[in-house]
Parts: sequence; C-alpha cells; structure tokens
Amino acid sequence: MASKKQGQRQVLESMYSVIALVFMLVACVELGDAASAVDVYRLIQYDISGVPFGSRLASLNHHASSLHFSPGADLSRTVLVIPVRELDLGFVKEYISQRQPLGGLLFLLPQIFSFENKEGTTDSDQNGGLELLKNKLIELEQSLIHANILYPVYFAFEDENVNAVLADIKKNDAAGQQATATTGGYKFVVSAPEPKKVASPVITNIQGWLPGLKADGDATQLPTIAIVVSYDTFGAAPALSVGSDSNGSGVVALLEIARLFSILYSNPKTRGRYNLLFGLTSGGPYNYNGTHKWLRSFDQRLRESIDYAICLNSVGSWDNELHLHVSKPPENAYIKQIFEGFTNVAEELGVKVGLKHKKINISNSRVAWEHEQFSRLRITAATLSELSVAPGLLESTGGLSDGRHFLNENAVIRTVKLVAESLARHIYGHQGKSIEIFANGSSLAVNPSYIRSWLDLLSRTPRVAPFLSKNDPFVMALKKELTDHTDEVIMQNEVLDGMFTFYDSTKATLNVYQVASVTFDLLLLLVLGSYLIVLFSFLVIITRGLDDLISLFRRPPSRKVKTA
Amino acid sequence: MTVFHFFNCAILTFGPHAVYYSATPLSEYDTLGTSVKAALVYLGTALVKLVCLATFLKVSENDSFDPSQEFLKALIGFIDVAGLYFALTQLTHRNISQNHKFQAVGLGWAFADSVLHRLAPLWVGARGLEFTWDYILQGIEANANLVFSISLAALGSLMWLRKNKPKTLIPIIYACAGIVATMPSITSYLRRGLGWHFPKVVGFELFTSLVMAFISWQLFSACQRPSA
Repeated sequence: MASKKQGQRQVLESMYSVIALVFMLVACVELGDAASAVDVYRLIQYDISGVPFGSRLASLNHHASSLHFSPGADLSRTVLVIPVRELDLGFVKEYISQRQPLGGLLFLLPQIFSFENKEGTTDSDQNGGLELLKNKLIELEQSLIHANILYPVYFAFEDENVNAVLADIKKNDAAGQQATATTGGYKFVVSAPEPKKVASPVITNIQGWLPGLKADGDATQLPTIAIVVSYDTFGAAPALSVGSDSNGSGVVALLEIARLFSILYSNPKTRGRYNLLFGLTSGGPYNYNGTHKWLRSFDQRLRESIDYAICLNSVGSWDNELHLHVSKPPENAYIKQIFEGFTNVAEELGVKVGLKHKKINISNSRVAWEHEQFSRLRITAATLSELSVAPGLLESTGGLSDGRHFLNENAVIRTVKLVAESLARHIYGHQGKSIEIFANGSSLAVNPSYIRSWLDLLSRTPRVAPFLSKNDPFVMALKKELTDHTDEVIMQNEVLDGMFTFYDSTKATLNVYQVASVTFDLLLLLVLGSYLIVLFSFLVIITRGLDDLISLFRRPPSRKVKTA
Repeated sequence: MTVFHFFNCAILTFGPHAVYYSATPLSEYDTLGTSVKAALVYLGTALVKLVCLATFLKVSENDSFDPSQEFLKALIGFIDVAGLYFALTQLTHRNISQNHKFQAVGLGWAFADSVLHRLAPLWVGARGLEFTWDYILQGIEANANLVFSISLAALGSLMWLRKNKPKTLIPIIYACAGIVATMPSITSYLRRGLGWHFPKVVGFELFTSLVMAFISWQLFSACQRPSA
C-alpha cells in the first residue's frame, strides 16, 4: 500500500516537471517572436512638487502611423513615428498643448546624435543643417520636458531597419490605408512595467585637496581656492543625456587643471601658499542641490578660508568669448581681482572674457548658476561659462542634442589654459606679468589627448543623477581620477531633496510586428471555408455522384429520422 | 486576432483531411481504425527515420545543398515506402475493400505527417503578433502532401495488393511511385540547390501533386477495368 502511494507520488512529481517544462517552453515562445527589436529611450517622467511632467506611461501596444496620416483620423490608438529631421515643431507643440489623445509618440533621432556613433567629424557644409537640427531638438526637448503627456513617448535612433519600417508606414499612409494585411500594417509593442518612483535618489559629491605649503611655525590657516564643477545632466531622455558640453566640458577642464597643479604641488619648491579644493558636485540641474549640500557640510573655518571659488559650466563650444558670471557687483574688490586675472590671460590667448552681473534673489528658490550657492553663503565665487545669460530651470543641462559632435576640443583646452594660468599667477603672485607657466611643449603643457579621452568617456555616459547609483562605475572612475591627482578625496552621498520626484524605466526594447488586420483574417476564413466546401462537394461528386450530394442537402432531417 | 489567424491556418492544414474522410465513402464504411493504425505506423516510421538520419547524416553547418548527403537522405526517405508497405499489407484491416483501404491508409499517413511536422510550428508561430504568409503556405503544403500520400498509397496498393494488373502498366506504376517517394528530396533540392523561395516551392508541390494524383487515378482505374 505504502509503496503504491509512493509510486503515485513519484508519478505525480514527474508530471509536475513535465508541466513545468511545457510552461517554460510556452514562455520562451511568447518572448522571442518579434520581427525586429529596436532600443528605445523613454521620455523622462518626473514630478515637481507633485505636479506631473513628462511622459506618464511606459507600455505601448498600438499600430504605427507616420505624419502623413489622413486628416481627421482617430489617433488615440496610434503611435506616431516622427523623424526629427522632418519634424514640424508647431504640430507637436499644438498636439501637446491641446492635450490631444495619442497612442504614443516615437521620435527618430539622426544617428549623429547617438553616442555610439563612432564617426569622427562631420563635413563643414553639413554643419549648417546640423546646427538647425540641434536648435530644433533643443526646442522639442524643452516643450516635452515641460509638458504633462499622458501617453508614452520614446526616442530611437534611425537605422536601416527603422527606416525601412518607416518607409513602409509612409507608403501605406500615403495610399490612405492604415494597417492592412500584407502591405505592412505595423504594430509597435513595448512591454514595460509601470514606472515606479525612484526612492530617495542619491547624489554624490566628490572633493579633493591639494594642500599648499605652510611656512614653518605659521599657525594661521592657508587660504583656499576652490574649483567646482557640477557633473550630472538632465534631458528629455535620461538614458541619452550625456551632456558633452553641459557639463562634461567643465568636468574635463577640472580634471586637467587638477592634473596640472598636482604636478606643481608635488614639488615643495613649486608648491603654492594656497590650498586648492576641487569639487565635482551633483544635482546641478536641480538648483545645484548637490553644491548646496556640499557647502553646508563644510565647517565654519573651512568656509571662511575659501578665498574664492571658480565654477566652470559649459565651456566646450565657444569661439571667442567666455562670460564670467558673478552675483556681487563688479566694483567689488575680489571680483575685480578675479576678473582682471582672467582678462590678462585672455588677452594673451587672444580671447575675450566678459563680466556679467546677476543679482541673487534670496526669496526665489531658483539657482541659475553654481556660484550663486557660494554667494548665498557669502563666499566670493564666479562661474565661467560660454552661456551669456542664465539658463532657466532644466535648460542647458546636457540633453538630447548635447553630443560630442558639437564639442570643440580646442575650446576646452583654451579654457583649461585660461583658468590654470590665471590661477597660477594669483597663487604665485605674478599678477599682471606675462609669464607663461603652462607653456605648450613644456612638461606643464595642457595634454590634448587626456582631454580628448575624458571627453569621449563623458560623451558616452548618461549622467542623470537619480539614475546614477552611488557606486556607479562612472562615479568611481571620477573618484579614482581625482585620487590620482589630489589628496584626501572624499565622496559625499546626499539625498536629493526638494521638489523633484523621478520615475524609473528609462530604457526599453520596442518590438515591431507586421500584423494582419481582422478583416484579412475574416476574408481568409471565408476563402478557406469555401475551399473546404468546394473540396467536399468535389469529393462527394467524384466518389458517390452528384445525386448523393444533392440528396445530402435535400433530406438531412429525414436521414436523421432514419438513423434514429 | 492572432488566435484567429492560428485557427485559420489550422483549418487550412487539417481541414482537408477531415473533409476527405467525411466526403468520401470512407466515413460510411467506418475506416477510422485503419487511418489511426496507419498514423501509428507513420509515427514508428518517423522514429526509425530519425534514428537513421541521426546515425548516418553529418550535421551540415551551412544550409547548402550537398548531393551525397541528399542522396543518403533520399535513401532514408524510402523508409517511408517501407512503412507504407507495412501499413498496407501487414496490418490486419477490417473487411474493407482495397479501394478504401489505400485511401484510409493514405489519409492517416498524411494526417500524422501534418500533426507531427506542422502543428508545433503553427502553435508557436501563427499565434504571434507578427504576420507572415509562411503558415498559410505551410497549410497549402499540407494539402499537397495529403494528395501525395494518397497517390503513393494508391500506387502502393497497385504494386503490392493487386495481382492481376496489365503488364504494360507495371513499369509506369513503379516509375510514378519512385517519383512520388522521392518528392521530399526533390523539393529539398529546389529549395536549397536552386534557391527557390517558399511560395514557388509550394506552388510546384501543389502542381506536381495534382498531376501525380491524376496519373495515379488513371492508372488505378486502368488496373480496375480488366478485373471488373
């Protein structure tokens, strides 16, 4: 009896494994049958003080249509595929502002904006069009970021597959037929879970010191000069926000300046009487929240020892003029001193530095420049930037269009030279003298290949703070690089506070299916049905004769009666 | 919608077998048992074939057409004929005429083939969102295959069961049986050797199946006449 039971159990167990196997097979089958899969990047979803912005949905399952859709068509169950090249901004803005129902939006970005694009420079005659495209993209990005969109919005890069699909869709739309059987009705499917809130996003600040040389028996603390750069980005697609210019260029400049001064400070003879503090801060797009936290963590003595701070912001694509943004009046002695230091070097380099003064409004929570966080704590600070006016909230934060192609390495090199030279003159007391410390060809020359390789790395790394964990390889790389050049490198993890809430699922895979319409299937059923009927009649006629067939139809009830 | 498509393809693939059974006198003589037996024989044959293929055939990395391998494959394909011979001659059938026996055997044979070769791809593929003509074509191929199987069974019954057939027709019967039996190899050659696309191959199969069916029908009735 017991053995019988055991046997039964064994059978049952083996049955379970078979069932599990079948389920696994079915599951595998469900996953892998897409015609083509495209990497897509979702529009950011975030709240400001509870007010929703960005795209509020992630999953997508609709037919595709191009911009050539027939007027008056119901688009609430349609994904519009819009190549940015052919984008009509007015149309998109109107759609967004009127909150028209749509199944979804898919923007196709030209390959040139892809950070995986390995091709070097572009042709000069193409640049005009590219610049136009860039401006269009910036405008599109801004209108998308600041809108509340109830349908999923994705970005993808143009490639052969996608273009072929798009051409097919356009052909259909032009013919006035939407999504029919064989001529290419396409269904776009993104199966993504519902976006979840990113719980207490962490921002990471990294700081490093180059301590100056104290004279023997000097008890007083040395003055400190801070060089501060915010490294994170914000953009319409978090997974594409690499921010080569804003503010990758600043990060590279800071690293190179740290490298140059570390050479000088490694030798006691050339060690200056100033401490140098290098700060890589996060949370830049969110009113420099990271800078704020970082400064708050300083003790009073340290804060007071800071002579001044130089912030670098977007220094990668200027031609001839940089702007020094300050919040104290230009007549201020310190500001004057900093400004004169810069202008002297700038004149020698053949570039211009202009002074821009913008007062801080303490009651306004908006912090447009990084130095304003310093100024709020009464530390003299200035921001060096190619931007002539203060950017608005979430503007110029390294979005979609801020790619490597629009970056000028020479601009970064000149910035490094300008800042390093004027700092060195200040530290070593050579103001007003034309001594070139970081001369080309010397051992202290700016290293273009170092700058290039870091620019390349930064232009490949999306750095939207809420999606950058505190142990992200990129953050670790920054820390390691700073450790190589400076002492006492500290990483500070803070929770991004304030009014921002972010949602995850920034990347997904779009499956493109070619589908047949229900009408086609109905038609097919009809054809098959008639085929079977004809086959039946044919077989009956040749095997039993026509009369039999007729009798089959004429007297079915009587036959039933007979058999009964 | 996609289940609908699966349903359609299934009708196309398996419908004709059912229609053939119900429309012809097979249903009246209740030959289902014979068909089932034939299907079981087909299963056994398929197993033997698999073992042979696995034993004697090299796995080719590319999808090219290798004549010697294909010849071997065609030889192994003749195991089908042996299976059919077994089904026609060795199985004990209920008292049904030869006329119906070969039809029942052919039908069972073709149905088993369809289930074995086409049901799984259909279940996997036709339910997906992606639309292709492949499964419809596959259904048409199943139709052609039904015709082939019945033709082959007819020719087989002529060869093995009918004793008093006209001497002049014997070589023709054997030739036709040979052609029908090597059909899988021929289509494989067309597909891989000549690089024909699936629709063209299916069209060819459909055409030849009808031609062969006509020929074997004529042969069958020609053999019937003297005895009648």
